Amino acid sequence: MFVNKMKNEGKSYAVFKVFNGLVMLFIILITLVPYLNILAKSLNEGTDTMRGGVGLWPRAFTFENFRVLLADVSMYKAFFVTVCKVLCQVVGGVLVQFMAGYALSRRNLWGMKIANLYFLIPMYVTGGTIANYILFSRIGLLDNFWVYILPTMWNFYNVIIIRSYMQSSIPDAIIEAARIDGAQEWTLFSRIVLPLCKPILATIVLWIAVNSWNEWTSTLYYIQDPDLHTLQYKLMQTLKQTERMKALLMEAIKSGKNAEDIARSMKVTGEAVQSAQVIIVTIPIIIVYPFIQKYFVTGVTLGGVKG
Amino acid sequence: MKIKQKKDNALQTKTTKTSWRQSEAVKCLKKNKMTYMFLLPGIILTLVFCYIPMAGLYIAFVDYNPFEGIMGSPFVGLTNIKEIFQIPAMYKAIFNTLKLSLLNLALVFPLPLIFALLLNEIRNIRFKRFVQTVSYLPHFISTIAVVGIATTLYSSSGIINDIRVAMFGAETERILFLSLQDFFVPNILILTLWQSLGWSSILYLSALSGIDPELYEAAIIDGAGKFKQCWHITLPCLSTTIIMLLVLQIGGLFTSNFDLVYGLQNTFIDFEVISTVVYKEGIENGNYPVSTAFSFISGLMSLVLILGSNYISKKINDVSLI
Repeated sequence: MFVNKMKNEGKSYAVFKVFNGLVMLFIILITLVPYLNILAKSLNEGTDTMRGGVGLWPRAFTFENFRVLLADVSMYKAFFVTVCKVLCQVVGGVLVQFMAGYALSRRNLWGMKIANLYFLIPMYVTGGTIANYILFSRIGLLDNFWVYILPTMWNFYNVIIIRSYMQSSIPDAIIEAARIDGAQEWTLFSRIVLPLCKPILATIVLWIAVNSWNEWTSTLYYIQDPDLHTLQYKLMQTLKQTERMKALLMEAIKSGKNAEDIARSMKVTGEAVQSAQVIIVTIPIIIVYPFIQKYFVTGVTLGGVKG
Repeated sequence: MKIKQKKDNALQTKTTKTSWRQSEAVKCLKKNKMTYMFLLPGIILTLVFCYIPMAGLYIAFVDYNPFEGIMGSPFVGLTNIKEIFQIPAMYKAIFNTLKLSLLNLALVFPLPLIFALLLNEIRNIRFKRFVQTVSYLPHFISTIAVVGIATTLYSSSGIINDIRVAMFGAETERILFLSLQDFFVPNILILTLWQSLGWSSILYLSALSGIDPELYEAAIIDGAGKFKQCWHITLPCLSTTIIMLLVLQIGGLFTSNFDLVYGLQNTFIDFEVISTVVYKEGIENGNYPVSTAFSFISGLMSLVLILGSNYISKKINDVSLI
């Protein structure tokens, strides 16, 4: 009877399995098609793109869109700023967060509970954008490269993950042994604790790096100097500019002016060049993503489990 | 006599104990000076970039005068906060934020769970891995790049309009989706879902892999079908995770994805949320007190929501985030 039941189950379950497989295929398509489409458009000739109908493969293949972007000196500047931003944030963040994680992992030390509370409160109460803005204007961080680095160097969420990793994965005996051998605290940290933290180190490094690469609101809030703009911010500007141009064109058409004259008088970033810019901004991540994905997943599950 | 001595002894140990504790703190500080030094950068950074802005919230209660500074400006109490409720735009922004969050909670929040449940039924490990890898991908693309992708997809020569033309004939009017006011909210939900579906399922998937297979074996012997197994075993085992994520979501009802909303706004769209109003009023127009008051109020409501939902989840399910 039991076997019989299994068989019956098998039939409807088989239908479900097919359906399920189709759902998964659909999700893969929905995820990949938009990106492949924009990739095709970035490699397609601009005026041809305007005709519509470019799918997953370029119709009139060209590198012109990328050439237009790469001829712009400000793009190189933005790239340089973005890379500097990512590197500084990673180095500074890792150093500060791991040092703190190590100190907090020794929870039997006097005062660590108070320190924990001190760090925990800002996770629930913040001053908000404007209070930050006023503070930054007072201490000279507006229009300053360090506004990208200093305010985000500390991240207590990361520190919690680091701390619990150290507590669960580094045996006290090793640390005690090193101490008996006369290792100073810094040696202990850099020679023993950090190497033992490699998996979580990779996670935190990648976490900070990707966030830093993708983040653009700090430029919007605190930076006006075009020399300090990042790649993401420049993409935002392009998108907004295109929208503004569309609006102006619509108004012009409504009021009976010649739309073509207006369009010619403005610097137009066509859809194709815009697509190329999206590709430039995302491609570094897309390339390394398959290799680093697992570290992110470890980080999320660790963070989730520890709350 | 003996008793008195005992009392004396006890008294003595008591006094030595307290003084011993004080000196222990000092000793501990001295002995582990370096460890405490490790904590110093974090303490300073938190003080400067978290606690000082918190004190800066005081600006919400003054009639701010840039020449006098925050402390020099006259204290006006709740005037700024009252002013918020006289500006219809702010009213509307609160309403819009809540509307967006609630729609998100109702329509987007359950889908990663369903996705995780479905994915868990895939037996082919390599296919499962592939689906996972692909579905996590959009999470790593910056929000502004997502806006860029959406702009391309929805443009008059974009793939969506292409499909419409292919389906309904060549005369079909090509719609500029991103200029439609009515499409703004659905679009934000769609893009949020696109970006977060896979990534939000990670915690569910890791909880699913932790369920004891013996539970299922026992259920099969008891004659439970797949659906019953899901209802009586899988979902109860996931309840902790679900409630945890729900608490987080409810705590965030008064926040919205600034990057996405701001990125998608254009001249045809009239849709402001709290964070965009704070940015535009505060940084673009320089109206510090009112916009700070506004973010203060929304922050306060968020805090109440977080503590409240956390309290309830603790009561119901013994799950606490704080």
